[in-house]
Amino acid sequence: MVRLLVLFIGFALTGITSAYENPISGNSEAAQSTKQYHDSVSVIRKMHPEFLNHKRDKTLRQGVRTEENSLKGCVNCHANKDEKTNQYHSVNSQDQFCSTCHQKVSVSVDCFSCHRTTPGASYKGVK
Amino acid sequence: MSKTLNRRDFIKTTTATTAGVATIASGITLTTFAANANENPVTKDKRWGMLIDTNKLTEANIDGMVSACQKEQGWGNEAHSTGDQKASWIKKLKVKDKATGKVTDLPLMCQHCEEPPCVDVCPTNASMKREDGIVLVDRHLCIGCRYCMMACPYDARSFVHEELTDQREHMPRGKGTVESCTLCVHKVDKGETPACVASVNSDAVIFGDLYDSTSNINKTLKKVQSAQIRADLNLNTGVRYSGI
Repeated sequence: MVRLLVLFIGFALTGITSAYENPISGNSEAAQSTKQYHDSVSVIRKMHPEFLNHKRDKTLRQGVRTEENSLKGCVNCHANKDEKTNQYHSVNSQDQFCSTCHQKVSVSVDCFSCHRTTPGASYKGVK
Repeated sequence: MSKTLNRRDFIKTTTATTAGVATIASGITLTTFAANANENPVTKDKRWGMLIDTNKLTEANIDGMVSACQKEQGWGNEAHSTGDQKASWIKKLKVKDKATGKVTDLPLMCQHCEEPPCVDVCPTNASMKREDGIVLVDRHLCIGCRYCMMACPYDARSFVHEELTDQREHMPRGKGTVESCTLCVHKVDKGETPACVASVNSDAVIFGDLYDSTSNINKTLKKVQSAQIRADLNLNTGVRYSGI
């Protein structure tokens, strides 16, 4: 019985910490969507540079244009909208999705010197 | 050895068979999905090309092609670049016959060579040719040395001199890298035609697979006289012209 209780408390605590660490914030599509697009937060957090690097070569050099690991997909889902102006914030600007982590670990994001930082004209929301 | 199947063995065999069927079935599903063009790498079986008939093309058509390209790819509004610094993926060229004085207008963009000099000179492999003949710049690798711009006989490439924002979602562009006509690769991969071809809306500009004997471009090239610009360089361009 005591063991069960310890286990239960353990689960409850994990829930609380993961809620604190939830990187999805604001009113982005990702925050509103219940659909899971990638395996787990820990995997995508650690591996996203590899995923994106692998995908960019396939897309550019081989013409493979799937939604999986597409940077456009990241931006479409994780860009927050300004509630007053109804315009998207750049996904890499201060305190937005990319910057919150990248600032903390002092790693610059180079994607957006070329790539678009807000959902483009063709984006119609999460399917 | 007894041949009767007890309960435990039955469950074992059934599970194994189900797993086997599931594996095969998932294989089938994967093949079905892979038939979708965008999931498969492009192959050498195709060679994209364009045929431009300068006799049928008016000056307004060419201006339309340039603005269609600008609109599609988002270049041409670089505020801080001047003169030659401005991006120019496609331009209107006037060619004059010195003897007769006949002036021909023609649109000039990346000719998507089979033997591209820009790819030969690139020190980082950023300048590259896809299997289906489309020549592109991989800006992830481009260091902005501009050797390719020097090497290109058609002056088809531009260098981005300033920081840019609000790019097209399908066409990342950034300061310090070289860019040029992509033959609207993002549209071609979806089975559409390049923006400039679509803007003309007549058979003055034909886009298609040069290798496919049933394609309009292949049939027309067999029928009409056509030329490659600077054919003496033996680059075997994908963009062909008739009427020059």
